Amino acid sequence: MPITFEHVSHTYSEGTPYQYAALKDVNLDIQEGKITAVIGQTGSGKSTLVQHLNALLLPDEGEIHILDRVIKAGEKPKKLKSLRGDVGLVFQFPEYQLFEETVLKDVAFGPKNFGCSEEEAEEKARKALKLVDLPEDCYLKSPLELSGGQKRRTAIAGILAMDPKVLVLDEPTAGLDPAGTKAMMSLFYELNQKYGKTVLMVTHDMENVFAYCDDVAVVADGSILVHTNAQDFFRDSKLCRSMNILPPALIRMRDMLNEKGFDIPADVQDVDVLADYIAKQVKSHE
Amino acid sequence: MSFSVEKGTYTTIIGQNGSGKSTIAKLITGLLEKKSGSIQIDGLELTLENLNAIRAKIGIVFQNPDNQFIGSTVRDDIAFGLENHQVPQEKMDGIIDANAERVRMTKYLDHEPTRLSGGQKQRVAIAGVLAMKPEILIFDEATAMLDPQGKDEIKKVIMDLHHETGLTIVSITHDIDEVAASDAVIALNEGKVVMTGTPDDIFAHEKKLNEIQLDIPFSMKLENKLAERGIKLERYITMDGLLEELCRLHSNM
Amino acid sequence: MNNFTLGRYLPMDSPIHKMDPRAKIGAMLIALIAIFFPAGWIGYAVIFAVVACVIILSKLSWGFIWKAMKPMMFMLFFLLVINILVVKTGDEWLTLGSFTIYSNAVIQTLYIAVRLLLMIMITTCLTATTKPLDMTLGIEDLLKPFQKIGVPSHEIAMLISIALRFIPDLIDETERIMKAQESRGVDMKEGKLSERVMAILSLIVPLFVSAFQRAEDLANAMEARGYAPGEPRTRYKVLKMERRDYILLLGAVLLLACMIWLAYFR
Repeated sequence: MPITFEHVSHTYSEGTPYQYAALKDVNLDIQEGKITAVIGQTGSGKSTLVQHLNALLLPDEGEIHILDRVIKAGEKPKKLKSLRGDVGLVFQFPEYQLFEETVLKDVAFGPKNFGCSEEEAEEKARKALKLVDLPEDCYLKSPLELSGGQKRRTAIAGILAMDPKVLVLDEPTAGLDPAGTKAMMSLFYELNQKYGKTVLMVTHDMENVFAYCDDVAVVADGSILVHTNAQDFFRDSKLCRSMNILPPALIRMRDMLNEKGFDIPADVQDVDVLADYIAKQVKSHE
Repeated sequence: MSFSVEKGTYTTIIGQNGSGKSTIAKLITGLLEKKSGSIQIDGLELTLENLNAIRAKIGIVFQNPDNQFIGSTVRDDIAFGLENHQVPQEKMDGIIDANAERVRMTKYLDHEPTRLSGGQKQRVAIAGVLAMKPEILIFDEATAMLDPQGKDEIKKVIMDLHHETGLTIVSITHDIDEVAASDAVIALNEGKVVMTGTPDDIFAHEKKLNEIQLDIPFSMKLENKLAERGIKLERYITMDGLLEELCRLHSNM
Repeated sequence: MNNFTLGRYLPMDSPIHKMDPRAKIGAMLIALIAIFFPAGWIGYAVIFAVVACVIILSKLSWGFIWKAMKPMMFMLFFLLVINILVVKTGDEWLTLGSFTIYSNAVIQTLYIAVRLLLMIMITTCLTATTKPLDMTLGIEDLLKPFQKIGVPSHEIAMLISIALRFIPDLIDETERIMKAQESRGVDMKEGKLSERVMAILSLIVPLFVSAFQRAEDLANAMEARGYAPGEPRTRYKVLKMERRDYILLLGAVLLLACMIWLAYFR
């Protein structure tokens, strides 16, 4: 089932001099089973939007449909706790939430909160740790002994262990080196392709969006500016630039070449294909 | 590990997380003690006796914008280093204003850190460090925790400093574009230096870089692909350079 | 945060706000001492009049002062009840059946109440008109003479000012961690005892870990910028005593003298 926002607004500190409308009449349909990128500048409302998905924040106006639940403004949602287990939200720099004595215990913490027995929780934890590719000799170590990248993978495993149907990630690759970024994005891709999870990713990294995401939703000033599939979004780099977003290098190159008389089609997805076109058009002049 | 950095150059140090690059900045300023070998800065050996003299020559900007912001306002933070170096109080305002101007934070001098973005906080850190008149500037993954706008702000400041001052700049970074813009590159893997040279030299070895999980700029990737298809080009690190060459080939044939 | 009136700084444009923190701290201490002399009801009336003048000059609203006193009211009422039950000296004031309320019970409570409320008024005057950082500078300067007997006045001031600087960050971080753990199914409000303990642990452990990391990073940054506690350093912010600051101090001393006279020489 898709995720739908209908006329959702959210205001912080209502009634005080610090009142601030973070979301204004948001209307959004997120498709099930897709990887959707949520992009926008700092302060655009992305984090606020995303925290409505597992009812950490409740809408002041409007309705949210997620999985089989409805969250209406002014009402306390029923089955709130189980929603948290079905929609896994991973915050930015999640390594800061680790606290248990061992990695295994920390990852098992989530499932235990949702009623699993010790054995069941440990089983789920092991599965999740395998998914994130954490070596077994780390399982009984204290999370504090791990490297930054390993800590992050442990934290993500902690959410995956709850087996959520929807995965919401806030800047999952922030601070990672290129190798770590690639590993992380491949993991999410696998979770989507192999396990059918709906993935929502708040990110600034256009290269990642271009390479891995199906859809793009642009948030600006508290509402949705654009919501389209990634291909269409990057087809016209003027759209990106008008929103102060730097398009991926491949797209920039394509556009620059086309401006100078080349004829590179808009749906070029990778370097090899681009090189083919360039090579043909340069050689054809010889 | 052995390497040297020439005075007045802009050197970048690259490597995976865990390659040892995070330890280097702390070793150079004596925040960590080396187990063996020697570290020499400007001819001075790094020892306990020379520590303060050496620290006075080096300014370092760390990764976390919050955890190096000590003062309660921008002004106070820049003043912190001056206070430590016993600069007379009468001279402080002048120095603070000049360095805030340098990083374009003059409007924010009385702002508290909670009202500043990551990029702004890092700029304040740079101002604070410049105020102490170092000869060497070290950036320890200073853009890793910033959003794209913040990253751009800092990269611009670094480039300006490189062009306008004679400071020796060492930047430990992941950012390929920053590497491409530097004078010299040191590539690390597992605690050892595996490659040194100009960015051109380094990027020519795509395979070797991939082995240590590092990448090359897009323009060079494209060049390599074109070379596979029989189009040989000069090595262009930037997209504009490559573009020009391709246009030339396209039009005058 | 909005409910924490006692101790909160309220920015205003008043002569009291602009005064040197050292003078204000000094005047406050002297006034607090003055309260404890047995100067009778006249004495308290005089003190109240003086403090009222300061409050008016500092443009603080009486509602604000009342909010600072409110938390004490419950305790004072409780004290009154206890005293009524315990103190059986003085005139008989009221008899309810077989139970008598004596005058001293009420009068003693009133004495305590008046002193307490005057103390709150005075300290609120100080904290509401002085920026926390200026207060820290004031404390540092006032403690300086005690450096000779080993009081690390500068280090204390640095400790306080860094703590103050990081309070907003720590509050944000607590909120972030809470949300992250709630996303893992933690319920901060309900549950069995064992669950609540885990909930609190899941909040406190990460906070401590991050606080230690922060402390290490800060220490490195400070050292790298040449900080060496114990070594001489200059100071950017200077405090200058002006005429009005001396007048404030003089006023406080006069108040004290007045109380002493009222208490012992009338």
